[in-house]
Amino acid sequence: MGRLSLGHGSGGRLTNDLIKEIASTFARGSGMLEFEDCALLPGGWGVTIDGFTVSPLSFPGGDIGKLAICGSVNDLAVRGVRPLWLAMSLLAEEGLDEEELLVYMRSAASVCAELGVQLVAGDTKVLPRGEADRLYITTCAMGKNEAISPWGIKEVSPGDAIIVSGPVGRHGAVIASLRYDIKLRELESDCAPLWPLIEPLTRLRGVHAARDCTRGGLGTVLCEWAEGANVGIEIDEEAIPADGDVSAVSDILGFDPLYLACEGTAVFAIASERAETVLETLCSHPIGRSAAVIGKVTEAHPGLVGLRTAAGGMRVVDMQGGELLPRIC
Amino acid sequence: MPQVGDLRAKMSSLLEALDKWLCRPITVMEVCGTHTVSIFRSGIRTMLPEGVRLLSGPGCPVCVTDQAEVDAMVRLAKRPGVVLATYGDMVRVPGSCGSLAEARASGAEVAVVSSAIQALALAGSIQDKEIVFAGIGFETTAPATAVLLREARSKNVKNLSVLSLHKLVPPVLRLLASDPMLNIDGFLLPGHVSTIIGTAPYAFLVEEYGKACAVAGFEPLDIMAGIVEIARQICEGRPAVRRLYGRVVRYEGNVKAQELLEEVFRPASVRWRGIGLVEASGLVLADDYSDFDAYSRFGITLEEVSPPAGCRCGDVLAGRITPPECPLFGRSCTPQFPVGPCMVSSEGSCSAYYRYSSKGVSPWGA
Ligand code: SF4
Repeated sequence: MGRLSLGHGSGGRLTNDLIKEIASTFARGSGMLEFEDCALLPGGWGVTIDGFTVSPLSFPGGDIGKLAICGSVNDLAVRGVRPLWLAMSLLAEEGLDEEELLVYMRSAASVCAELGVQLVAGDTKVLPRGEADRLYITTCAMGKNEAISPWGIKEVSPGDAIIVSGPVGRHGAVIASLRYDIKLRELESDCAPLWPLIEPLTRLRGVHAARDCTRGGLGTVLCEWAEGANVGIEIDEEAIPADGDVSAVSDILGFDPLYLACEGTAVFAIASERAETVLETLCSHPIGRSAAVIGKVTEAHPGLVGLRTAAGGMRVVDMQGGELLPRIC
Repeated sequence: MPQVGDLRAKMSSLLEALDKWLCRPITVMEVCGTHTVSIFRSGIRTMLPEGVRLLSGPGCPVCVTDQAEVDAMVRLAKRPGVVLATYGDMVRVPGSCGSLAEARASGAEVAVVSSAIQALALAGSIQDKEIVFAGIGFETTAPATAVLLREARSKNVKNLSVLSLHKLVPPVLRLLASDPMLNIDGFLLPGHVSTIIGTAPYAFLVEEYGKACAVAGFEPLDIMAGIVEIARQICEGRPAVRRLYGRVVRYEGNVKAQELLEEVFRPASVRWRGIGLVEASGLVLADDYSDFDAYSRFGITLEEVSPPAGCRCGDVLAGRITPPECPLFGRSCTPQFPVGPCMVSSEGSCSAYYRYSSKGVSPWGA
């Protein structure tokens, strides 16, 4: 066994292997082995926890405060869980400006207010200068499952339509453009709470699974579905909602937008006969207005995701192998 | 940027043209790694008719760097008082005693640069150390190394030297063109190399070996147009060097860059990974620049060393096998734990096969 590399945190194959290793050291039945975005507990409760480190702390479309709330409540939302309560832990570096910290806390609070989420527990630590990079936030969110049927990887079935709620890769592209100093006037992170978009879907039949495409992007989520449900998936590059600025950043830096992180964009597997209703519902919400069917789940080639390229050929979409961008969420 | 629907329409008219011009099965080598990656990313192999076989060639600069050259870089990096500067892709390539990345983890000083001239700034800011720039790449990156050397000489910089590992494309093409085992009918030539050297240095491929040649850009449409052009030349029995990269590639190339190369370098016979010694296929420093030559400054000689056990990069680079035919491919050799450079470099054929065709067993072929 070697040392951890940044690739172990990139959300792709290395991360998955590491999580499996860690989970295997805990007793069976400790509930961690589901590998979903949040755990569903007896009594219809859902819980999740997530750590946030982003550099820079503030970016077009959001900051670490907003990100820390959206990130964990979105992990609840994609399993049909209405977020209700939040616990938060801060690790701050000695010397961080107090007013700056409060700016992040205000933007966190405004997302909570929008969703009716209550902060119920918290912890704050200050580390000596140099032992942390300014500010890390960990949030644990809890809520109530409202979906009328179970949502999860196991439900993904051949014939399902794959729907994505908006242009992919915007958060990752914003962070990359800041880090590599590429000036783009229009591009903003998609960082946003997904519950208002998803809530109406909890009352619809035919929703099989949903995921927010965070670390590792859309490509990684689809690979996890294909492997986890042992199905094939085929998507069409032409159908994926694209953002011109994301494509521009990707071209310059040699990234594939399929693997760039999103923070307010979700992908759904929907029974084909319900796909149109779901699409209409998504499109009627402002953050879902460019939602689109991008492909389908197949019985053929289980475990593999295929992409019909813009040029018209086919290629495999593999889970991202190693480090793409360090620390973007 | 063309609209996507537009792209598919243009692609299908090119495919129709290909159908028309394909009079017999043909084998085309895409020489450059950038072509290889674009071909995989756009799924071009899955669109081609059966009669077109694409071979990946020796055009990934990191991949063709010989084992002895990698070892020399690692040894230099480990020398006290030396900072070895080179391009990022090189850092993870395994040498006989570890890679530059491993050397760095155990204390050696390795600086990753994105352009050669950054080595000059390093020399200025770290004056108590010797900066050695390892120059990798073909005619495309050699001019940048030449500029670095010219600047270093005019500024009389004492703590900078260059380990030139630069290689030239045309000489190795001669070797491949004359290999009866490969049976290459045509070459898809890289646009950016040709921008520098022009098309005249490829003329021998047509005149002496009767090969069809197209100089093409790196977008899917450019590549497909190149393949159609090669099929047409073969069908009409009129091989030529056609420029499809017309706006930037001139017949005579970039004369200024060529003069610069001539001033700073001279051709030498060098070893290519898996291919061996190729006459006049490398660039070493000209006598006027010998003061900056890392080989003489540090007494470096390149001895023949064997590549990593079982690695068949050499056969891959020469088009003799496809990556999945290497017994280590996808088993002990993966992008996370690469055995050879062809799996390390993002432009390497092994890595392209691994990432874009599901470890070589894609249900969509290729
Ligand atoms: S698969 Fe690995 S070991 Fe085999 S030729 Fe490629 S790089 Fe070398």
